[in-house]
Amino acid sequence: MIYLDNAATNGHKPQSVINAVNFALLNLSANPGRSGHKASTMAADLVYKTRQKTADFFGAEGAEQVVFTQNCTQSLNFVIKGVLKKGDHAVVSSLEHNAVMRPLVKTGINYSVARVYENDNDTVKAFEDKIKVNTKLVIMTAASNVTGQILPFLEVARICQKRGVLFCLDAAQGAGILPINMQGMCIDYLCAAPHKSLYAPMGLGILICRKPIESTIIEGGTGTSSLEFLQPNTLPEMLESGTINVPAIAGLSAGIDFVEKQGVENIYKKEIRLLKMLYEGLSGCENIILYTKPPFMHKYAPILPFNVKGMKSEEAAAYFDKNGIALRAGLHCAPTAHKMLGTTDSGTLRASFSVFNTENEVLRAINAAKKL
Amino acid sequence: MKRYVIATGTVTYAIKGRDILRKNGFAVKIERITGDKTLGCGYVLIISEKVSEAEKILKNNGVKILKITEEQ
Repeated sequence: MIYLDNAATNGHKPQSVINAVNFALLNLSANPGRSGHKASTMAADLVYKTRQKTADFFGAEGAEQVVFTQNCTQSLNFVIKGVLKKGDHAVVSSLEHNAVMRPLVKTGINYSVARVYENDNDTVKAFEDKIKVNTKLVIMTAASNVTGQILPFLEVARICQKRGVLFCLDAAQGAGILPINMQGMCIDYLCAAPHKSLYAPMGLGILICRKPIESTIIEGGTGTSSLEFLQPNTLPEMLESGTINVPAIAGLSAGIDFVEKQGVENIYKKEIRLLKMLYEGLSGCENIILYTKPPFMHKYAPILPFNVKGMKSEEAAAYFDKNGIALRAGLHCAPTAHKMLGTTDSGTLRASFSVFNTENEVLRAINAAKKL
Repeated sequence: MKRYVIATGTVTYAIKGRDILRKNGFAVKIERITGDKTLGCGYVLIISEKVSEAEKILKNNGVKILKITEEQ
């Protein structure tokens, strides 16, 4: 199987991650922060060290800012529903995932959509123009999960800071590929999917809060203030009701080590090289429709949308699957991005890379496309 | 022997506090006490000396302290 669906979830975990998860299952199956016995304390230590490692990796101030959620969608829900109140206004980009759009619509809060352009200056201006007096929060994807375009989040975050607006970065497609430093980049909330480019297991999300979350949407046992029926307001526990996923957190710890050893820049360079190779190969196929400009460093994440002339994206994906190549078809939970591409009816195929993909795999994918 | 019990409210702050105090040369351990249900998670830091200095270090590093008690 040639796995080119890494933007959905990473298809190949490093052995060190597998070993860490295995170790946790064998030795740390105890509830951290709940019981006082040695196994519980060992688990709590691992969780804390992983919080600190995650904070360091993303340039946050401290381990207590790092919340472990179930997934990036839950992290975004915590921010959107925990920060925005009646009378507030929010701004999002035109390339947001439903993980942003659906919770935002559910709140009933007024929001504006800033169009994303090919030219970053135009995109930044679009955001600036949408910020109003009552704008409380800007939510922006680091990179589109459909087109791969990297958005100028640094510039928009700095504008937000100047204008007293909170800034939330959806780094589902950026964490582990793009350099992200929350303090240096004025990012108030970071939501990430560590099972993608941080090589952790599924069932774990990251939320880093440099600013408070005012209210919760899930309440329950936190291992703290147990006499009180009111949810505690201290991070990270206030957003971690119920038992957290210790084996996945152990995997995240090893995943961050793996990424740091490889180097974020090196991983990105390799994946962009593969992306360019695929783009060039497919652009030579008469039956292939490409939607983006030729990819280059710092403008695109390693994601490529395309279609096969005369075929629905799902049919084409089935063809590739029969030929041992895993791609994702459809709308990728981001309908506004497809509206911009003009592919709302057809959807697209999407190829996406990890550091484990090879040039030979890309060649085989191109050859399969040529035979269609 | 005298000992000081520093309640931090959450296990996260307890471990953070332990690591910070160790870096600052304190002999410190984490215990879980069961007698006082108001002490958050029940995880506390135990030190045997220089409690004022420890408190200052913890607060300067953003560790929330619920209560400090002295035990013989």
